[in-house]
Amino acid sequence: MPYEEHAAIPLEASERPLELTDDFTPGESNFIKVDNFKFFYGKKEALHGINLEIPSRKVTAFIGPSGCGKSTLLRNFNRMNELIPGVHHEGDITIHGTSIYDPSVEIIALRRRIGMVFQKSNPFPMSIYENIVYPLRIAGQNTRSVLDETVERCLRSAALWEEAKDRLNDSALGLSGGQMQRLCIARAVASRPEILLMDEPCSALDPIATAKVEELIIELKKDFTIVIVTHNMQQASRVSELTAFFYLGNLIEFDNTRKIFTNPSMKQTEEYITGRFG
Amino acid sequence: MYKEPAKPHTLSNFTTSLDKLRSSVLRMSSLAHLNLKNSIKGLMERDDDWCNNCIADDEEIDLLEMQIDHEGIEVMSRFHPFASDLREVISSIKIGANIERVADQAVNIARRARKLNEQPKLTELHLLDNPIRLSLEMFADAVRAFAERNAELAVELKSRDKELDLLNKELTDTLINRMQDDSPNLPSYLNLIFISRCLERIGDHACNIAEDVVFAVNAEDIRHPGKV
Repeated sequence: MPYEEHAAIPLEASERPLELTDDFTPGESNFIKVDNFKFFYGKKEALHGINLEIPSRKVTAFIGPSGCGKSTLLRNFNRMNELIPGVHHEGDITIHGTSIYDPSVEIIALRRRIGMVFQKSNPFPMSIYENIVYPLRIAGQNTRSVLDETVERCLRSAALWEEAKDRLNDSALGLSGGQMQRLCIARAVASRPEILLMDEPCSALDPIATAKVEELIIELKKDFTIVIVTHNMQQASRVSELTAFFYLGNLIEFDNTRKIFTNPSMKQTEEYITGRFG
Repeated sequence: MYKEPAKPHTLSNFTTSLDKLRSSVLRMSSLAHLNLKNSIKGLMERDDDWCNNCIADDEEIDLLEMQIDHEGIEVMSRFHPFASDLREVISSIKIGANIERVADQAVNIARRARKLNEQPKLTELHLLDNPIRLSLEMFADAVRAFAERNAELAVELKSRDKELDLLNKELTDTLINRMQDDSPNLPSYLNLIFISRCLERIGDHACNIAEDVVFAVNAEDIRHPGKV
C-alpha cells in the first residue's frame, strides 16, 4: 500500500503512539487488601507487617529471593498456610472488604473463590475430563450438560481445547508438562473463582510451554484477578501490570511493573533486578 | 556530582560486558574529539595534512559505532538488563550514534577547510574562534558527563547550546553582508558559513549525548520539555 493511502487510514486506539503515562498505579482500586499482616511459623516471624492493595482483574507479580516471604503471603490469600502446624498470624487480609479470617467465612467456600496453580503440575490420576469437572462434582454438580459445557469452556480458556478435545477420556498423566500445567489452570478456573494464585507456574516448563502459559495469563486477567509468584523477572515484566518486591519478609517496593523494571525507587529493588544482590 | 559506579553483578561476565561497552564509547569519543581537533587545526593553520588525517581516521570511528551496537545487543540478548543497566545500554548505543555524527561533522569541516586552503586567507576566519571553542567544550563536557555519570553537567549543556546557536546565526548574518562587498571570495565565505553550521550541529549532538546521560543516570527524559 502506498504511504499516502496508509497515512490516510485513521489509527485504531491500539495502534496510536504509546502514551508515556503509567498504565496503572497501586491504590487506584483495591480488591485484595493486606493490612499490617504478620505471619509466624512457630516463633519465627516470616512476614513483617505487610501492607498491600491488589487491584481487581490485573496481574500482580511477587518477586524476591528465595525465603523472602512471597509464597508465604500468596498461600495466605486462600488460607492454605493453616494446614501447617504451629502457624499463626497478626493483621488482616480482606477480599472485597470482607476479612478472610472472619468467623463467618468457610475455608472451603473461600478456596472455591480463589483458585491456585502450583510450581509442579499436579493433575489427578484420572481422565482429562474428570480432572476438570472434579471441583464441580465435589460441589454436588453432576448434570452431564453442565459438566460438558464446563469442560469445553475451561479447556478453551486454558488454550488446551484443540489439543485435548479428542482425548478427553484419556489419562491426564499422558499429557506433556506444559499441557498438564494448562490442565491444572483449566481445573483451577472450573469453579469460576474470582482470584487465581500462581506459584511459579512456569518454572518446570520449556520456553514454548512457558510462552503458552504466559499468553494464557494475559487472556485470563479479563476475568480473574491474578497474583503470580515468579523468579523469572522477564516473565514478571512481560505478564504483570504491578510488581511487588519482597526481601527478608518485608515488602520493599510495590509499584507499576514498568517503573519497577526501568527505574525502581528503592536501592534494594534495583540491586535485585539488576543482579547485584548478595 | 560524581556518582560511584554500581557494585559488580553477581554474574561477573555481565559486569565485564557492560564495562567493555562503556570503554568502547569512551574510546570512540576520544577518537572523535581528536579528529575534530585535527580538522580545526587544518582549518586554522591552513594545513591540508591535518584535514587528511581527520578524513582518513573517520573510518575507525564508523567501525567503533558498529562495534558499540554489537556489544549493546550482546548485553541485551545475553543478560537481559533491567533498570539502570538497561538505561546504560540503550544510552550507550544512542551516544555511539551521536559521536559518529560529530565525527562526520569533523570530516565536513576538514573538507571545507581544504577548499578554503586553496584560496587566499580570509581575515574573517577568526570569527569562528568562539563557535569552535564552545562546540569543542560542549562535546568534551558531554563525554565527561557520560564518563562521570554526571547528570548535572549534562543538564547545564542545554543552555550553552542556545549560545552556540546564537553565535552561528550572528556569524552567518555577518558573512552574508561581507559577501555583498567582496563577491570574488564568495565561495570561501560560503565555506565558512557551512563550517559554522557544522559547529552548531556538533553542539546539537553534544546536547543529545547529554540528554542520554540524564536518562541513563536519573531515568529522566529531558528531550522535549512540556510535551510529555
